[in-house]
Amino acid sequence: MNPGIDLQETFIQSLVELGLPADLAKAIWMPLPMLLMIIGATVGVLVTVWLERKISAAAQQRIGPEFIGPLGVLAPVADGLKLVFKEDVVPAKADALLFTLGPVIVVIPVFLSYLIVPFGQNLVITDLGMGVFIWITLSSIAPIGLLMAGYASNNKYSLLGGLRAAAQSISYEIPLALSVLAIAMMSNSLSTIDIVQQQSGYGILGWNIWRQPVGFIIFWIAILAECERLPFDLPEAEEELVAGYQTEYAGMKFGLFYLGSYVNLVLSSLLFAVLYLGGWDFPVPINLLAGWVGISETNTILQVVTAALGITMTLLKAYFLVFLAVLMRWTVPRVRIDQLLDLGWKFLLPISLVNLLLTAALKISFPLAFGG
Amino acid sequence: MNLAQGVQIVSFGLLTLMVIGASLGVVLLPNVVYAAFLLGGVFISMAGLYLLLNADFVAAAQVLIYVGAVNVLILFAIMLVNKREDFLPLKRGWIRKAATGMVCAGLFALLSTMVLTTSWNFSTGAIAGNDSIIVIAKHFFTDFLLPFELASVLLLMALVGAIILARREFIPEETDMPARDAALTLPERPRELMSVSSSSEFNR
Amino acid sequence: MLKFLKQVGDYTKETVQAARYIGQGLSVTFDHMRRRPVTVQYPYEKLIPSERFRGRIHFEFDKCISCEVCVRVCPINLPVVDWEFNKETKKKKLKHYSIDFGVCIFCGNCVEYCPTNCLSMTEEYELATYDRHELNYDNVALGRLPYKVTDDPMVTPLRELAYLPKGVTDPHDLPADAQRVGLRPEQILEQMEKNGDS
Repeated sequence: MNPGIDLQETFIQSLVELGLPADLAKAIWMPLPMLLMIIGATVGVLVTVWLERKISAAAQQRIGPEFIGPLGVLAPVADGLKLVFKEDVVPAKADALLFTLGPVIVVIPVFLSYLIVPFGQNLVITDLGMGVFIWITLSSIAPIGLLMAGYASNNKYSLLGGLRAAAQSISYEIPLALSVLAIAMMSNSLSTIDIVQQQSGYGILGWNIWRQPVGFIIFWIAILAECERLPFDLPEAEEELVAGYQTEYAGMKFGLFYLGSYVNLVLSSLLFAVLYLGGWDFPVPINLLAGWVGISETNTILQVVTAALGITMTLLKAYFLVFLAVLMRWTVPRVRIDQLLDLGWKFLLPISLVNLLLTAALKISFPLAFGG
Repeated sequence: MNLAQGVQIVSFGLLTLMVIGASLGVVLLPNVVYAAFLLGGVFISMAGLYLLLNADFVAAAQVLIYVGAVNVLILFAIMLVNKREDFLPLKRGWIRKAATGMVCAGLFALLSTMVLTTSWNFSTGAIAGNDSIIVIAKHFFTDFLLPFELASVLLLMALVGAIILARREFIPEETDMPARDAALTLPERPRELMSVSSSSEFNR
Repeated sequence: MLKFLKQVGDYTKETVQAARYIGQGLSVTFDHMRRRPVTVQYPYEKLIPSERFRGRIHFEFDKCISCEVCVRVCPINLPVVDWEFNKETKKKKLKHYSIDFGVCIFCGNCVEYCPTNCLSMTEEYELATYDRHELNYDNVALGRLPYKVTDDPMVTPLRELAYLPKGVTDPHDLPADAQRVGLRPEQILEQMEKNGDS
């Protein structure tokens, strides 16, 4: 496998050539991808909000936002601006400190998780050995923030919503982790890069979805629950709990919750694409195509095209999953809290355990197909 | 001293301050909810310290288990029975406090002797880096097999206990229970339980 | 053992069934996405109100004989009729007339019972104001006629569902001479005459 383009090396090299010490050059490089990722995540959220509104409208035979920008693309920007300029209300008997801290604790881990999302061979902030495990870890911090928000609002709906959110998040973390574990077992690594590497080579046929169909479904359900998307949006079930833990929030604090939930959705979809749909892989292996046309692997143009195609493919796959989630939202009714916990503990957990054992058995018996 | 070392020293200082400050808060704050949230802060800062020691798996596991599970469950328990109510002063409560203080002092003495007697040399072994999981797993299944299995048995016991508590197939007779100390019980709605053993439950 | 296996099998069957139902639901939602929106783009497109539309009430000052029937039939005695008895002509002389559309429920009783037909329903329904007292229309305001939707160059008039040709549900891009479903009044009259002859 050729290394492809290494932007970091090139950037540092050019700065060093300008006469800067290597240390400083690296320090200048470091914030750049992070900044890029934060901006990317925010733009991704804007696109997702717009898509959600448009797809929802289409599913209900409406038009959706139309006049704010071409096709209404600026509608989410207008939403965000409105939230920024709204008055920041803290209820009189609420706990002001915890009330402020809650949304912050919910949002930060989600953004941190973008560390491990790869868009290409070298297009990732850090290739951690922990990889997906970091994501699972960070997503387990969010319930603390939700509980904090629910408690500090001094409102029974908020408290109930916060408790529900925490319970839901804890119960669905386990099937999620187990299905990720099955993937990690097949690719002998937790690193997102390695997981994609292991799927590449056979194009669409090599993707994990064919080897882990059960894990795929479990992961999808667990993600919907973790993101509080519609079949599982009990924490903010507006018919019962007003808006759950968000009830007392207004202005930018509510904006943080809103942002956090959508960033989480995009992040989950991206990781879903990475784990099961071959990440940045084109359905047909690029190297094979290049071989047919007769271009060598080290060709610069080919590498740029590969990188661009990788980013496009990752985003396309992720947004396909966002689309599915939105479609799911207008199809499936909300489950009750006892049904939710039943599904999590009595259905998904045993099935994901069986799936894990099966994967282990298959890995031992067919090391060629299931990653020896 | 280069950039990386400087960052390490500063973050070490910050994390230490956070650990000490937050744990003092856990012990000293009268508001139990604040104490529980600060406990989460302690756990997270400790995970940061692990990260500084290049133990990334331990750090992640620390956050996942202690913050994501233990602390959330503590908060759950507090919030489900939350009634902002002061506990009644206990008779001879100072005995408990004194005993706790003695235990803590003993532990502190033990730990400080350990700190003083250990020779803090740098390990000469190779840094595991990204392969730390493999090294840990090998240890688990060779020289640490017994503690590992014991821990899993312990967890299994906790699981079985939780199931039994939740299903309540066997409940003790509550009639001949001594009147419990009101200061030690949290206010809770009396439950109507179906008893399998005694029909006296229904006759009462 | 067999019983347990059967239970597992039944459970699997139920799960598959549930998954199939969800799939069916998704396909229905997906199918809806390619249908044309039924939305009326309101300020730019407006539905043509039907003939019997009960909108803001129109009042002709000169026709009114101050009989106060409208007040009597009104469920809440809303119209305010301010008249004075002219002793020379021995007739009531109307001075002011007003209806508060913030309170009116548009039941149309006053229109129904007015002996001189000086009250009538218009097709105006855009009655939003910043102050509810602005809705208290006096006889001058009541005498104004609303602008017809079909005459407004800024607005694309759309026919309501009942006025569309047979089988058509979309009012957009309809030819102007497309006839509504059913017979026109003159056709009905013709038919009745024919039936009467035979």
